[in-house]
Amino acid sequence: MATASETTLVNTHNESGTKWWTRFLDPSERTLAVLLLMPAALLLTLIIVYPVCRLIWTSFQNLSLTSGVPAAFAGLENYSLMLEDPVFWETTWNTILITLITVPGALFVGLALALMANLPFNVKWPVRLSLLIPWALPLSFAGLIFAWFFHSEYGVVNDVLRRIGIEGVIWFNSANWAFAAICLTIIWKTSSFMALIILAGLQTIPRSLYEAADVDGAGRLRQFFEITLPLLKPAIVVALIFRTITALQTFDIPFTMTRGGPGTSTATLAMYIHQNTVDFLDLGYGSALAVVMFVLSMGVTAVYLRMIRAKG
Amino acid sequence: MTLNKTMTLLLAGAAVTLSASVATAQTNLRVFVSSQHRPDVWRKAFDMYEAKNANVKVTIETGGNTSEQQSQYLNTVMTAKDSSLDIMILDVIRPAQYAAAGWTVPFNDVLGSDAANSMKRYLPAYAEANTVDGKVVALPAFADAMFLYYRKDLLEKHGIQPPQTWDELAVAAKKVTEAEKDANLQGLSFQGKAIEGAVCTFLLPYWSMGKQLVSDGKLSFDKDAAVKSLKLWKDFVDQGVAKKNIAEVATDDTRKEFQAGNVLFAVNWSYAWGQFQGAESAVKDKVGVVKLPAVQGGQPASCLGGWEWGVSAYSNNKTEAQKFVQYLSSPDVSEFMAINAALLPQFPEVYTDADVTKAVPWFANAKPVVETAKARPVTPRYNEVSEIIRTTVNGVLAGQSTPEEGAAQMEGRLRRVLR
Repeated sequence: MATASETTLVNTHNESGTKWWTRFLDPSERTLAVLLLMPAALLLTLIIVYPVCRLIWTSFQNLSLTSGVPAAFAGLENYSLMLEDPVFWETTWNTILITLITVPGALFVGLALALMANLPFNVKWPVRLSLLIPWALPLSFAGLIFAWFFHSEYGVVNDVLRRIGIEGVIWFNSANWAFAAICLTIIWKTSSFMALIILAGLQTIPRSLYEAADVDGAGRLRQFFEITLPLLKPAIVVALIFRTITALQTFDIPFTMTRGGPGTSTATLAMYIHQNTVDFLDLGYGSALAVVMFVLSMGVTAVYLRMIRAKG
Repeated sequence: MTLNKTMTLLLAGAAVTLSASVATAQTNLRVFVSSQHRPDVWRKAFDMYEAKNANVKVTIETGGNTSEQQSQYLNTVMTAKDSSLDIMILDVIRPAQYAAAGWTVPFNDVLGSDAANSMKRYLPAYAEANTVDGKVVALPAFADAMFLYYRKDLLEKHGIQPPQTWDELAVAAKKVTEAEKDANLQGLSFQGKAIEGAVCTFLLPYWSMGKQLVSDGKLSFDKDAAVKSLKLWKDFVDQGVAKKNIAEVATDDTRKEFQAGNVLFAVNWSYAWGQFQGAESAVKDKVGVVKLPAVQGGQPASCLGGWEWGVSAYSNNKTEAQKFVQYLSSPDVSEFMAINAALLPQFPEVYTDADVTKAVPWFANAKPVVETAKARPVTPRYNEVSEIIRTTVNGVLAGQSTPEEGAAQMEGRLRRVLR
């Protein structure tokens, strides 16, 4: 009896194929795709999807470590608080302003640097190296160094101005000058990244196009606008995406240069998030602010991606 | 080659077993000490404990130059529930906040049923700052307060007595700086940068007018007094008594500039004294220190400082750590730190100890200042209160807003935090 039933069992298995795991030994194309994607998908879920979901969940909670009360669901309270919070609006506006100033600024300076680096020098490495150094320098170092440069008494900027007969300003004593100092520093720091990407783009443009243009009698300027710029567009868009997102997340340089001062006039949204979560331990409100920044970054990325797709 | 490798492996294995067997018998305590408070001298106090308790090994960790930087670091460690730190030194404004977050272990168990009584040994302000809802959440490490430092030589030269009021200070500063004709000499240096020190800057004249920021846990903001306080400091800048970029000046900048001989009067904590008397100081033996001036018709007020030892709730050695903290917060260690690091004692009787008065004679005069110094508001949301006050002071001194606008902003924002 036993033998008979066992035979039927084996038979049924054979009918439905084999044991369930044996399909992995000789997988179909579909199974193989799933199998190969699984590790990456798991990793992404763990390090991106989970934290983002957790962040959004926290933003709907009343979770402040200093309150002494356990976390509780608060609905949209954190978001409605945000709308009435003048510092939120000020820091968001500062962030947008920094983006609007430093992204085009870095693009123009970076383009100029890339064009210079692409000139036919005999020895190329000094130029390339000097392009790399600002990019390789940690952001907070750049901030600290420039904070000294712009110091009203001990700084090199005011010293140079004094030597050429201009009375320097107390940079960090005025919102506008402090803002200008921060933007200059960010442009200095980030234009080399732009230059590196644009330089890579420049080197893919075939020389033959310029030679042909020379034959046709096109001048340097014409060549730049008719050949260089259109062919650089993909490289520029990629550089712009990265630069805009990092600009929206600006933290290190204003944090180390002014700590948001004078008052809160140079604080950015990222600094305000850090302040609420790390200093004030208000994780609920801090998460809600972070969600806003996340949405802002996603929005900008979507716009750029659409631009690329339209072009492609 | 192979023989060498085998030997190395064997040795390494032996080392691991050895250290493992030692670790079972020994408690390792990791202590966070603020780098501005002489960790080198604390190390000696720790060594004395290790000598008596062979099973305890203490490691020091330092970091950050200011109270804010240190709190940012400790906040990160604590939110991560990291067990690597056992003991941490906390600025007097933080024990309440750390207790509310559940980051420190109360000392009531080790102090016994008489915890409240054992806190009476300390100066009252410290017993209060470390007790939250009847729980002793930290033990005092040392005391501190703000003082007025002045150039004894310059005041004597011009026949001026140390000022009793801020108005007298302005007159004296103008007289001396005009007569000295030294472009580098500032009349008064205080903290205008948006740091913790700027909170005290605001509160000194405010308290001197007899006003409180918080009473019975409720905001008791007096807008007129706030305007007057902000205006007092802004006037010092406008009249040239303080330098134009005072909004860039942090606590240690005041100390450095005074030490270089460029400042007549300076508002600073007690730690500056030891540095002014150091070998590198340009003002050695030329410095006087008195209580801070009052506003016209007010009482002099100082800002209470001081640091406290807390035991981490995530420590794996809580009992050993608490025992060690009890040693650190004892009159003997207090005396040792007073003599060797010029840290003000948290026990009243140590100020008059013969060895202490010999090493730091001015401590005898410092005692009444510390005793009457006022504590910044004790609230778990102190960091927010502090941020509001210091950015406003900074903004007003930088000329971003008028004292009236500043006081109005401050009131509006404080109301949201201290409802």
